[in-house]
Amino acid sequence: MTPKTVRRVNWIGGITTVLTVVIAVLWAFPLYWGIVSSLKPENEVVRPFIELWPDTLTFRHYWFALTETQIGAWYLNSIVTSLGVTVVTVTTSLFAGYALSQLRFPGRTILWWLILASFMVPTQVLIINHFVLMADMGLLNSWAGIILPQLIHPVIIIVYKQFFDQVPKDFREAAAMDNASEWNVLFRIYIPMNWGVTTALSIVTFIWAWNAFLWPFLAVTKTEMMTITVGITQVFDAFGVYYARQLSAAVLAGFPVALAYLLFQRKVTQAITLSAGIKG
Amino acid sequence: MSDIALNSVTKSFGGVKVIDRISLEVKSGEFVVFLGPSGSGKSTLLRMIAGLETIDEGTLTIGGKRSEHLAPGQRDVAMVFQNYALYPHMTVRDNMAFGLRNIRMDKDKIEERVQTAARILEMDALLDRRPAQLSGGQRQRVAIGRAIVKEPAAFLFDEPLSNLDAALRVRTRVELAELHQNMKSTMIYVTHDQTEAMTLADRIVILNNCRIEQIGSPMEVYLKPASRFVAAFVGSPGMNFLKADLSGRGAEQVSTLGNGARIALQVDLPPGAYELGIRPEAIQVTPSPADTSGKATVVERLGDRTLVHLHLDDGTELIALDGGLSEVRPGDTVHLKFDTSQLHLFDDDGMAHHAR
Repeated sequence: MTPKTVRRVNWIGGITTVLTVVIAVLWAFPLYWGIVSSLKPENEVVRPFIELWPDTLTFRHYWFALTETQIGAWYLNSIVTSLGVTVVTVTTSLFAGYALSQLRFPGRTILWWLILASFMVPTQVLIINHFVLMADMGLLNSWAGIILPQLIHPVIIIVYKQFFDQVPKDFREAAAMDNASEWNVLFRIYIPMNWGVTTALSIVTFIWAWNAFLWPFLAVTKTEMMTITVGITQVFDAFGVYYARQLSAAVLAGFPVALAYLLFQRKVTQAITLSAGIKG
Repeated sequence: MSDIALNSVTKSFGGVKVIDRISLEVKSGEFVVFLGPSGSGKSTLLRMIAGLETIDEGTLTIGGKRSEHLAPGQRDVAMVFQNYALYPHMTVRDNMAFGLRNIRMDKDKIEERVQTAARILEMDALLDRRPAQLSGGQRQRVAIGRAIVKEPAAFLFDEPLSNLDAALRVRTRVELAELHQNMKSTMIYVTHDQTEAMTLADRIVILNNCRIEQIGSPMEVYLKPASRFVAAFVGSPGMNFLKADLSGRGAEQVSTLGNGARIALQVDLPPGAYELGIRPEAIQVTPSPADTSGKATVVERLGDRTLVHLHLDDGTELIALDGGLSEVRPGDTVHLKFDTSQLHLFDDDGMAHHAR
């Protein structure tokens, strides 16, 4: 490599770094603005110019959100429903992905096409049907009512199918020689060999479920049954909207997800990469 | 240990026939090698015995029990795969115990069998490692260990040495031979490597084009190949083939080569045009004129022996085997003497007729 090429490579690296930093700052600024605003007194928030740091730092709004609202119940509802959605979605998708990938049964191709075709139907189109169905079943304002319509995630099935397709057939054959039942092949070989993808998909499904707003907003009318994303819309009183309070509740709502991102950065990135090419 | 009998078994993939009415008996304790080129059906035949491929027609009997409809795990055979197929998330111990746990064998008995297999294969220290922490040779041992613990009626090996480097392949080959001698188990072994076949087999089954070309001991298939295919496939360097006209009968029989050389031989064939086959070691380089002569083009010195590549006058290419200290140089005219007891004539159908 000549010195000239070395210099050119460094220039490209430098420009890429600067661009990445600029985009990261642009992306992160709203988050920063939200957190800073939640720490300002209300009168500072509504001032008509940009102040990057509060004149008076206050945690009053957080205290309000934690003590004067039902945020504890909302957290609980979010945790239960998000865990429910995650466990059921991942488990059923695992079975469906395995069956589509490894088993040969009548209607397999049609089923596969149906799952692929379901991408063309946006959730919003189905939401009235879901509402009527849940209402008929008497499940509105219940955890089950929030969970059930959120279990449709074809992308998880497709990712699992792709992963199971990639397992060399030698393992399946070795298991057949080892007298393993289909159940054993799935639980003792295929799932442990793909723990990485299961973890990644579980995290990303949990995050999707935690961030879900539209359906939980429709399915729940009682304040104590709301999830955190719906609950934060309730942080107002008779005197109207308080931006700092709203933002403090939003920060609290986003906190567990942010924590999940921080703890499982690599897994989340992996899951997003896995589903990026597929998710409609 | 058990007999395995295939009776007129057939297999097709879609419309393509890959095994065509093959019948074969493997005796208890015998080491049989399926040898053939790619696409000859040898692996498919092994997988049909294992139960990994269905048998379209014909019957399979293992230890006197009709087995063609049994699931792979119920046939009492164990298979060692080409890529080992060790479960990567399990330790060596768990890999070996997996099959036994599936049949709900008693824990103590499983541990006893694992320990015994580990001792036989000298891998006691590896039991708690995972496959990723093992070398290629060690993985191969684990794959064999996984088969041994089942104490099966027969062991099936699908090109088990093809992923090892040359030195390790030779060592593992010897170990496999020792293992067979010690265990006296029935073993069926698939390979395209004739050296493995020749060194390991009690009997070699040579497959070509979905059918069996010949079944015989290693020396039988080498010295008395049943067909031109077998003659060409077995042996390295391969057999020489020359055009030959057979004339005369009885003691007067003579084969005339393309360059006019006449070679007396005794074979039960009518006069006519044939292909004459002779192995390089049956062609002796002599100092004085003999059966024929040719011009050396390439001389390959292998230490203990020398391969002399020659052109006869009519352009026929030939390889002769000379001693390690051969004085032949490229460009030399070389006199050749044929060992007439090691001549083979092949008819138009490729069938072999051996000289007496």
